[in-house]
Amino acid sequence: MNEPIIQLDNVHLTLTSKAGPVHILRGVSLDVPAGQPAAIVGPSGSGKTSLLMVMAGLERASRGTVTIAGRELTRLSEDDLAVLRGAEMGIIFQSFHLVPTMTALENVALPMELAGEADAYKNARELLKEVGLAARTEHYPAELSGGEQQRVAIARALVREPRIIFADEPTGNLDGRTGRQIIDLLFGLRQRRNATLVIVTHDDHLAGMADRIIRMSDGSVASDESTRASAVRAVSP
Amino acid sequence: MTVVLEPHTRLMPSRRAGLKTILKLGIRELRGGLKGFRIFIACLALGVMVIAAVGALADALRAGLASQGETILGGDMTFARMHVRATPEERALFSNLGRVSETSTMRTMARRLDASDQALAELKAVDDAYPLSGETTVEDGKSFREAIEGNGAVVDPMLLERLGLKIGDRFRIGQTEIEVRGVLKAEPDAVADRLTYGPRIFVSLATLDKTALVKPGTLIRWRYAVKLPPDAPSDRESLANLRKSVEQKLPTAGFTSVDRYDPSPQITRTLERLRQFLILIGLASLLVGGVGIASAVATFIDKRVKVVATLRSLGASGMQIVGIFLVQIILMSAIGIAIGLALGVVVPPLVENFYGDLLPVHAGIQVSPGSLGIAALYGLLVALIFALWPLGRVENVRAAVLFRDSINAVSGRPRTSIIVATAALTALLFAVAVATSEPHNIAVYIAISLVVMLAVFGWLGGAIARLVKRVPRPSTPELALALRNIAAPDGLTRSVILSLGTGLSLLVAVALANAALVADLNERLPEQAPDYFLLDIAPDEFDAVKAKIVRDVPGTTLIDAPMLRGRLVSLKGTPVEGAKVPADVQWVLNGDRGLSYADAIPDGSTLTAGSWWPKDYQGPPLVSFEGEIAKKLGLGLGDSVTVNVLGRNVEAKIANLREVNWENLAINFIMVFSPNTLSAAPHNVLATLRLPPGTTRSVETAMVRDLGRTYPSITAIRVRDAIDQFNKIVAKVMVAVQVAGSVTLAAGALVLAGALATGQRRRILEAVILKTIGARRRQILKAHAFEYALLAVIAAVVAIALGSLIAWVAVTQVMEIDFVFSVNAVLETLTIAALMIMAFGGIGTWAVLRAPAVPYLRSE
Repeated sequence: MNEPIIQLDNVHLTLTSKAGPVHILRGVSLDVPAGQPAAIVGPSGSGKTSLLMVMAGLERASRGTVTIAGRELTRLSEDDLAVLRGAEMGIIFQSFHLVPTMTALENVALPMELAGEADAYKNARELLKEVGLAARTEHYPAELSGGEQQRVAIARALVREPRIIFADEPTGNLDGRTGRQIIDLLFGLRQRRNATLVIVTHDDHLAGMADRIIRMSDGSVASDESTRASAVRAVSP
Repeated sequence: MTVVLEPHTRLMPSRRAGLKTILKLGIRELRGGLKGFRIFIACLALGVMVIAAVGALADALRAGLASQGETILGGDMTFARMHVRATPEERALFSNLGRVSETSTMRTMARRLDASDQALAELKAVDDAYPLSGETTVEDGKSFREAIEGNGAVVDPMLLERLGLKIGDRFRIGQTEIEVRGVLKAEPDAVADRLTYGPRIFVSLATLDKTALVKPGTLIRWRYAVKLPPDAPSDRESLANLRKSVEQKLPTAGFTSVDRYDPSPQITRTLERLRQFLILIGLASLLVGGVGIASAVATFIDKRVKVVATLRSLGASGMQIVGIFLVQIILMSAIGIAIGLALGVVVPPLVENFYGDLLPVHAGIQVSPGSLGIAALYGLLVALIFALWPLGRVENVRAAVLFRDSINAVSGRPRTSIIVATAALTALLFAVAVATSEPHNIAVYIAISLVVMLAVFGWLGGAIARLVKRVPRPSTPELALALRNIAAPDGLTRSVILSLGTGLSLLVAVALANAALVADLNERLPEQAPDYFLLDIAPDEFDAVKAKIVRDVPGTTLIDAPMLRGRLVSLKGTPVEGAKVPADVQWVLNGDRGLSYADAIPDGSTLTAGSWWPKDYQGPPLVSFEGEIAKKLGLGLGDSVTVNVLGRNVEAKIANLREVNWENLAINFIMVFSPNTLSAAPHNVLATLRLPPGTTRSVETAMVRDLGRTYPSITAIRVRDAIDQFNKIVAKVMVAVQVAGSVTLAAGALVLAGALATGQRRRILEAVILKTIGARRRQILKAHAFEYALLAVIAAVVAIALGSLIAWVAVTQVMEIDFVFSVNAVLETLTIAALMIMAFGGIGTWAVLRAPAVPYLRSE
């Protein structure tokens, strides 16, 4: 098995509210080897999106350590986190989150531009072609359908060839047929790049496409099993 | 039981909900709170506040003038005349009305006994009855009456300072020595004695006689205050009738009368002009705020698109939906207007508190329904004009929005009736503004300027967005981000350019108009203006005076003209009291004017019509009239005018019209008569004195001091001092104009804040996305800085151009002086633009950078 690229050790996430502290994650520990596609499933409020956000460094763990590509996130500043995300991660959201003031092409080129890399537009154009949007490069997000917007988001997530792809309910806002097309596209692109994929989903069919299913319940990992009869490792407390 | 259904009734057109239902639905829709309306309310409240405050201040001052009128006049009414003291018959007529007090005022020179120094002073001689109302008080509680007995005087402390005197010292006026007995603390009727150029000196009439200053032709103003018996009717009408009866009994006496209900028509008129002008500036800030109102309504409608679509799906008609939202707009307008009115009413006491000494009278809270009504009307009209268009587009929202998000859910034009209503309200606003402003052309200029400004900046925002879209992609990612934001189809460019641009343009216009006025007074005039005016030179002394001055300071030039004071009493046979003339020439008919005679065209004048009379002309009286003023008074060649000089009416025909270059302060008069008309009347000579270049101040002072010693009756007014005095008054007025002008900028700032706030959520989301894909905070900050700086620079550059154009029109067409471009005014504007955008943009960006990512990234 490959070396773990994502390592969580006893991660807690506690938020404060008027009613008192809310424990979102309660001591999650898990490793994801490089190149593995993994699905996080569970009922609403079980903490799956929060877990993804903590892995992506978008939310800071209240306790425990999160190590991504060998770097411990709690030691990094906001800007260091941003740079790490740009270099190592691609994130895909349920609501797409494209920059509304930029065209599809500009959205996809943006991560490379921010990193000061050459050929941003050339690569973006190629990637848009790969996701089937060669004809829509100059369209603004509001001029694209939901499925098209998600394709742009996928292209944007992959443009810098990240080693990890995080996806939060990527088909949640799409109809069944479009959703399936998006999933096939996402898994295909991942495979060609041998990237690690962590996907949060409600969709059992989608979860079944991953090598591994991590089931969350009330902020903890309830079960963690391989879908291809590989090693089953329970890491919940 | 069988229920019979009538299926066809459900297909018939349903009865639409009535006004009551729409009102109820509108109010119910407001449960969301006022949050989205804060900028709307603030914009409206600010503009209404300025208009209400200006109105309330003018009301308070007017009420103050009326309530303190008796004290200001020193009686119930006064009769005043230049040159000639009242005859015993005239005195008897005044005495029949009630108790009478006689006072006289004139400009003169006060000199130290050792003749080492002298100062221009305003001499006021009073009788024993003075003052009939109010009290003249002296420092240290001394008795005023005792202080002016014998050769005593009560003087303004300024005189002591200028001449280095103290109580008990003596100084000279004319041919007598006067002792300083007290320092003036308060003079009740100072306002009634007009603008003063020097410190006041109070003496008795007996002392005035001893000065020997009063000779036929001396420029002295005699004033008779009358206090009616306690039982006499003293309402406005009775006093007006009494004044009229005196004027009828003394038809040619030439007295100017006022009563305590309007003790100073001059101040009343000045206040009225200032009020109208400031209200127009207030209206300008209200209209700039209108941009904020429009964008607030558009944002509000955008946020309610789903509600609108839901109402649509439930069968609501377009007009019903417009009605529901109109109810809310009107309620919000009422709140904004109420806040504005409440704030406006408390401005007069605040002004009184901080700037009380600048006001002619005490200003308290005065609530006049008229002023508040105008402010509320302007507020409502502006709110509706700017709200109706975005509101009317709500009809274009289709129920399909519920099923599919659409970028332009609220777009297109509103229905024709709403466009027509907006146009009608705009016309009404324009009509009200023009009708309530004198002269009307100021309102027209301001209205046109505003329309041009709104059009230019409205277009410019879109043009910039389109142009930037075509700019090749820069290699700096932050700059590229900034340009993309500027070019974005529904970005902030339009609203930022419109709000910042209009606010800055008005600021530039006010600053440049101010600069032109100040430059006109300070820099340009003295180059051409004489150094001194010499008043009250006896005609037979002039040659000797001239010879002496030229001997003392060789190279000095003196130009003289006979000078009398007289009052226009009729135009083409019609008494001036009934004449309807434009407000800007009313002053010509108001009180005394300087009159002269000459046998040749005076220097600084050019003939524009008619011909000058021949030398030694002996025919019927002729007069040369200033062309521009004659035109405004409706006078032309051959028309007759009657002036009252020294208590005698003189009728003359207009022989020619002149164009006068007033700015050079050379001797010139509106009316110059043929010599045979006035030369027989006793009069003195007025002269201008121009010193050779390079004359030092000490030589100048010595010359004037020596002149005063030899000719004590001559008064020398240093032009530079007089201009400084005038500048101080102008500066006070300009403070008011600038305050009103800065409110316009404040309105622009509100609109800008509103525009930035509208886009804030999107900016935060954008920053969060950028952070998730690797952007550092410095990069986001730089991108924002580039975007704001670019927009601010473009808005400021266009605002400078447009503001200069507006100022140029105002300065050359309305104020009729030369336009001067002031780099300082422009730099000030650029600085303000930079500070404003830095402040508002900075606050916004700070919030953007601090915003946590997760709430924005989780699915909505």
